Amino acid sequence: MTRPARILLVDDEVPIQRALAPLLRSRGYDIEAAGTASEAFEVMRARPADLIVLDLGLPDLDGVEVCRRLRAESSAPIIVLSARGGESDKVAALDLGADDYVTKPFSPEELLARIRVALRRVFAADEAPAGRLQVGDLVIDYDRHRVVRQDEEIRLTPKEFDLLALLARSADRVLTHRAILKAIWGPNAVDQPEHLWVLMAQLRKKIEPDPAQPKYLISEPWVGYRFVTEPADV
Amino acid sequence: MVSGRPWSSVVGLGLALVAIAGVTATLHLWLRLNNPTIAALTYLLIILIAATVSTLRVATAASVLGVLCLNFFFMPPVGTFTIADPQNWVALFVFLAVSVVASNLSSVARERAREAMARRDELARLFDLSRDVLLTTDSREAIGQLARFVSRRFALDFVAICLPRGDEWDVFDAGALGLQLTSDQLSKAFAGVDGGLEFDARARTYAGHREIALDDHRVRLVPLRLGARAIGLLAAAGRPVEPGTLDALAGLAAIAIERAHFLDERKSAEVARRSEELKSALLASLGHDLRTPLTAIRVAASNLQASWLADVDRREQSDVILTEVERLSRLFQNILEMARVDAGALAADVRWVHPSEILEAARDQVVHTLAGRRLEVDAAQERLVRLDPRLTASALAHLLENAAQYTAPGAPIEVKLTVNAEGLMISVRDHGPGIGAEDLPRLFDRFYRGQDARARVSGTGMGLSIARGMLAVERGRVWGENCPDGGARFTILVPAETKDAEASQVG
Repeated sequence: MTRPARILLVDDEVPIQRALAPLLRSRGYDIEAAGTASEAFEVMRARPADLIVLDLGLPDLDGVEVCRRLRAESSAPIIVLSARGGESDKVAALDLGADDYVTKPFSPEELLARIRVALRRVFAADEAPAGRLQVGDLVIDYDRHRVVRQDEEIRLTPKEFDLLALLARSADRVLTHRAILKAIWGPNAVDQPEHLWVLMAQLRKKIEPDPAQPKYLISEPWVGYRFVTEPADV
Repeated sequence: MVSGRPWSSVVGLGLALVAIAGVTATLHLWLRLNNPTIAALTYLLIILIAATVSTLRVATAASVLGVLCLNFFFMPPVGTFTIADPQNWVALFVFLAVSVVASNLSSVARERAREAMARRDELARLFDLSRDVLLTTDSREAIGQLARFVSRRFALDFVAICLPRGDEWDVFDAGALGLQLTSDQLSKAFAGVDGGLEFDARARTYAGHREIALDDHRVRLVPLRLGARAIGLLAAAGRPVEPGTLDALAGLAAIAIERAHFLDERKSAEVARRSEELKSALLASLGHDLRTPLTAIRVAASNLQASWLADVDRREQSDVILTEVERLSRLFQNILEMARVDAGALAADVRWVHPSEILEAARDQVVHTLAGRRLEVDAAQERLVRLDPRLTASALAHLLENAAQYTAPGAPIEVKLTVNAEGLMISVRDHGPGIGAEDLPRLFDRFYRGQDARARVSGTGMGLSIARGMLAVERGRVWGENCPDGGARFTILVPAETKDAEASQVG
């Protein structure tokens, strides 16, 4: 990283801006704030940011729509701030291109972690995609469709491997149920989440040391699943 | 009409006798006619006219007189009641029979016509009543009102609608007589009713009619039926009403009662729905209004713990926390006040107070929101008012808060305190965007927020509704309007006694 990452903070609530901006600056990010959607669009056109933190409850435009337009103009990751109970908005925003979300009231660490993950993806995108991923004692070899845990190969069905690979390639990001269903079973399956529940249960049984308390394949209630690369400190 | 009948009967009889005497004189003395056929036909004409315009009795009397006159003046030997030719006996009897039968027919026709008129009259009354019933909207009063309608439309001196409630009876009565029906009487009459529904073709009524004597009045009890089910009794006394009409009346009353119940049910369903709406509006509002300050406080507090913060930033972060805590406590205050207004837990506690005291108290409550706003106060009054200063000040605080939220920081907020004969009037005028036309009627609805305001100004939509609720406790009012030269003006009016400030110092 030669220059600090630029983050656009879009929230109409002044106190949130006043509290978040110094926090993010202290972590070396370059912060620009916007109170409305139109302001955010302007900033993105003038000085594109590397990442956008977006509150879904903006005064001038529906949050999901803001998300869609930002995505149309820029590939910068979007982290959505939303209220608990606003699950449908959250999922819609994620399906329309948002990368992740945190629920208000969130802890500062939670937001910082999401920002780190999203930015890592931005700056790693230039590097050649790795043929394998190692997380803790788990090694996923994408090329050979093999998964090894503690030097012991785990036999996965092709669908199970697809699911694991899909989540692992977007490591630390949430993927919505809809997005996963579409990627693995095709567009006709998006309304049949039961496929996913069954497959996820099988996969967890094979991958997780304790399937009842998963540490790699984390469920985000009502939203989707996340493959976690730093399971130890969660 | 009842008292007029004997009179008209006597007059009719007189006229008939005079007419027969006249005809006799004309034919016998003047024209010197002695053809009994012409005389008989002329008498018959008079008898028919009598039967048509008067009663059967008059016509019969005229017939008898006609027979006598015919015999005396026109049948040989003239001048005596003896009849020489036996054929004339036959003629005389035929004349009598024809005139009596014709009188009868004519009288029956008249009776039918009268009956039809009466029926039409009752139908018209029923129709009027049904219109009354359909126009009734307030269901609480509906049944008592129904009894009054029945009594008025049918000119009955006593009408009561009696509905069973367990062993007791709810009696809604109307009319001048004011008879007292006992539960025993009603229960006894009602006991036989529930058995079944049979139509009595001869009386043209359904079964179950009862008649009881009460204080020298005959009270008729008719079951109120919905379909075959009896739901109560209709009692009527005074003018006689056809049993069939009473049945129709009871049917209409039963429908009206059922309608009143439906209106009641619909109203309570509406109330339940509105309270559901309120709850979800409250939750949505709280969801947003709690989460934002909580997030800001959480982040700012953890910033304060961090070592990287400069002193200037530290002050900034603690300011964020204080402001947001203030916002939260105001929110809780609002919720609490709203709950009190809803629960009816507020009571006016009146005392003598100077209006400026109320303004000070109100200002104190919203000092954070008012920060940086200029308050221009116009209060040249030296009169005291007697009201609840606590409620009035809280209501005023909401108006001030509202004005501050919709005014640019530089613009003044004008407060005017006036004491007049009605009581205390306080107006708060801002220089904000004013009130949208579509918002005006719903301004004081709970959780209602102006169409524009929703986007630009943070708020819960509780303030004005609380202000109204609090003022209502002391019979006060509040209203909002746009000023001709821009901005909105909200005015509070609290009815109160007033007196001069000096007078109070003496007392």
